[in-house]
Amino acid sequence: MKMVKAKPELCTGCGACMIACSKALYKVEDPAKSAIRVKEKPGTGVKYEIAVCNHCGECIPICSVEAVYRAKNGAVRIDHGKCVGCYMCVGFCPHNAIFVHRDINETIKCIACGSCVKACPTGAIYMEEIN
Amino acid sequence: MTTGKILAKYEYQPAKIEKGYANQTLYINLSDRTIKAKPVTEQMKQIFTGGRGFGLWYLWNAVSGDTKWNDPENEIIIAGGPICGITQYPGSGKAAVVTLSPLTGCPIDNNVGGYFAPLLKFSGWDALEIQGKADKDVIIFIDGNKGLVTIEEADEGHDDTHLIAEELTEKYADSEEDKRNISVVSSGRGAENTLIGILNVSFYDVKRKAVRVKQAGRGGSGTVFRDKKIKAIIVKYKGVTGDSNNPADKEKIINAAIRLHREIFELDKLQNRMREVGTAHLVGIMNDYDLLPVMNFQYGSHPDAVKITSEVFREKYFTQNVPDNCWHGCSLSCAKAVDNYEVKTGPYKGQKVCVDAAEYETIAAVASNCGIFDPEYVIEANFYCDTYGLDTISFGNIVGFAMECYERGIINKEITGGLELKFGNAEAALELLHQMGRGEGFGEIAGQGVKRLREYIIEKTGADPAFLRDISMEVKGLEVSMYVSKESLAQQGGYAFANKGPQHDEAWLIFMDMVNKQIPTFEDKAEALHYFPVFRTWFSLQGLCKLPWNDIIPADNAITNEPHKIPAHVQNYVDIFTGVTGKNITREELLLQSERVFNFQRIFNLKMGRGTREYDRPPFRLMGPATKEEYESRAERYDKQLKELGYDIEGKTTEEKMTMLRQYRESQFEKLVDAVYKRRGWDKNGVPTLETVKKLGIDFPDVVELISRYRE
Amino acid sequence: MIKVNKEDMDYVDGMTIQDILKIRKYSHTMITVIVNGQVVPKDSYPTYRVKDGDVINVIHMMSGGC
Repeated sequence: MKMVKAKPELCTGCGACMIACSKALYKVEDPAKSAIRVKEKPGTGVKYEIAVCNHCGECIPICSVEAVYRAKNGAVRIDHGKCVGCYMCVGFCPHNAIFVHRDINETIKCIACGSCVKACPTGAIYMEEIN
Repeated sequence: MTTGKILAKYEYQPAKIEKGYANQTLYINLSDRTIKAKPVTEQMKQIFTGGRGFGLWYLWNAVSGDTKWNDPENEIIIAGGPICGITQYPGSGKAAVVTLSPLTGCPIDNNVGGYFAPLLKFSGWDALEIQGKADKDVIIFIDGNKGLVTIEEADEGHDDTHLIAEELTEKYADSEEDKRNISVVSSGRGAENTLIGILNVSFYDVKRKAVRVKQAGRGGSGTVFRDKKIKAIIVKYKGVTGDSNNPADKEKIINAAIRLHREIFELDKLQNRMREVGTAHLVGIMNDYDLLPVMNFQYGSHPDAVKITSEVFREKYFTQNVPDNCWHGCSLSCAKAVDNYEVKTGPYKGQKVCVDAAEYETIAAVASNCGIFDPEYVIEANFYCDTYGLDTISFGNIVGFAMECYERGIINKEITGGLELKFGNAEAALELLHQMGRGEGFGEIAGQGVKRLREYIIEKTGADPAFLRDISMEVKGLEVSMYVSKESLAQQGGYAFANKGPQHDEAWLIFMDMVNKQIPTFEDKAEALHYFPVFRTWFSLQGLCKLPWNDIIPADNAITNEPHKIPAHVQNYVDIFTGVTGKNITREELLLQSERVFNFQRIFNLKMGRGTREYDRPPFRLMGPATKEEYESRAERYDKQLKELGYDIEGKTTEEKMTMLRQYRESQFEKLVDAVYKRRGWDKNGVPTLETVKKLGIDFPDVVELISRYRE
Repeated sequence: MIKVNKEDMDYVDGMTIQDILKIRKYSHTMITVIVNGQVVPKDSYPTYRVKDGDVINVIHMMSGGC
């Protein structure tokens, strides 16, 4: 499958990826509803950190209602019909890459659609083929 | 079970949940088949909050001081509470079950998992209140999507929970997918034939593809249920989401929830390993600290206890890598199970079943307390207790007590109907269990509980009543849960004063008192015996489980001012209550909610003709060594204590030393009673004062009249 | 002689926190060890050597079905 990878050193913090993501997922331009998050990193060196799901699948067995599954294309997806919004997968994500919003029942998670990559002006995020 | 004809039908418009409340409750009378809605008043919310509070209030209004558990007036109330049903915070799906107990004659409350209370609320009901008695077995069905309640005839069918719950889940679900939307409350034939009946509350485990059950175990609520001729109550509601409880401020809940999920993710593996082994981790610990009941609480440890620790269950029996929660969002996931267990004895011999096994209390009760150290016997006994509808804690106490009487020659095979009730005899224990299920032989007598069994033995054998009282582990008629309290005065109080009877959920102070020595004075102990019972009552008002409060602790908890209160988690509870209801409360107000209900329950005991000082007196074995063997097993400790107290023990016999120790410990206990009653705002007889009930706002005319009868 | 939870315990040269926990059978995982008023980090129990006369408190948290 192809998944989103990051080169934080190229990130300018413009936030275009978050806008594109929330638009793709929820048809709104709202970084708080995005499945990719760019955060300023205090200290010297690289200025931003980028959190996005790497589809490792550790959240799959955490879910007690089988709402988290690996799709045919290899991406880890949430079945919105089954998800009861318990957020266990959020707390148990080893990469802190699953998000929540008060107005959205289910968790907000990358579906590997690539919208964010297309929107990134600097190449700080890109799609990479993984097994 | 083919469902018979519909006896009564009630259609309703399901209420929209507002800030945690449906604002109405469902009343069913099985005698005249009334089904109706009752409004939840602001006053009810203000004074009783929900859950156990609502249950006690309805029961108070339903019964008189003369009502017996099997009178039609007695009720069973099942209620969640305002927080019940949120999916984010661990442990938020609990039901409080309240009824008059056949064992104690007073209100009993249980806190039980499974999906029933959340689905009931989302079906539009804050509580289900059942009164009256049916003339034939019935099923109550609540369809929360259609807005329909029916009472149906239950024709021929299964008698025991594991089959009832499975069949009804199949029957009422539209598809495999739909099974998660169903919860069944049921019991078994043992509940009919004993006084220690439980309620099993089901949920469908989508991963195991199995119906699981959690237990409202204490005090015989299943016995009341079967006496009302209820075969099962089914609730069905499809559409649970993270917003079903319609909270006032979801952000507050989310933040607390994710914080706790994270804590559990990072720390549970280093702390109690609840996700891996559940409460069974306590077996080894309690054995190490000499607190594990062995052979009817005579001893606190045994070399063979290593055979029944969580390690054994983890390696050989528990099905692993399944998140075992009993409601959505509980990442602590302590509800362990053994899949594909092949039953070895009794009517289901040869069947492969999924057993909800085994919790600490069950392991200690059915195994070590009976001198049996066999993990497969634990699973077998756990399975049959559940499916017959019997309380494992009471069962283990009964068998332990009977075995001790047998070993001491107080009873013989003539009394036991041929059973060789020696400690360690698993076969005999299981046979007794099957007899309780069938209501036959010695099992039928023993199934009446330790108190009534003692009375029976005294009558039949002329045994010394004082000695039998010393070794029969019950207070108020309820059997003691599984901690040896002999060396912790505070825990003796925790057990003896508990409103419903000696269950540890009111106070568990052994470590603070006996090991840490943090509460040395009577005032310290009284403060702990005020704070913890009041605080712990709060969970059952809300629909919450206690375990996520203190079975996981934040990394920085040790450096807080009051680590035992786990301040960060108390703050979480303040936040989620505020988040759900929109009512801004402080920690003090949180405690006040509980203190009202706690005192009301005490007064309820008074209404039932009990609830005074004499009913708070434990058997001596709860306080110290009741026999020579027990004294000698801890002789060093006891001799040292006597010497430090200034007793001259040179050349004294064990019996003489036992008398000294007993005198001392009993006098200490009386001082504790005085200190605790004072701290709680009760008089010397254990009756809440007028000032206390006024301060708490529970000074209803009948309460004031009742307590005034006891004024000194 | 050292004090462990207000009781005397014989001091052995070189004894560590972990040794004390073992002798006292303190197997509960939810504990905090405080030596002379200072919290000792969990990971140093095997290496932290107590001195003769130290006052040690092993604070147990409640847990489980309780």
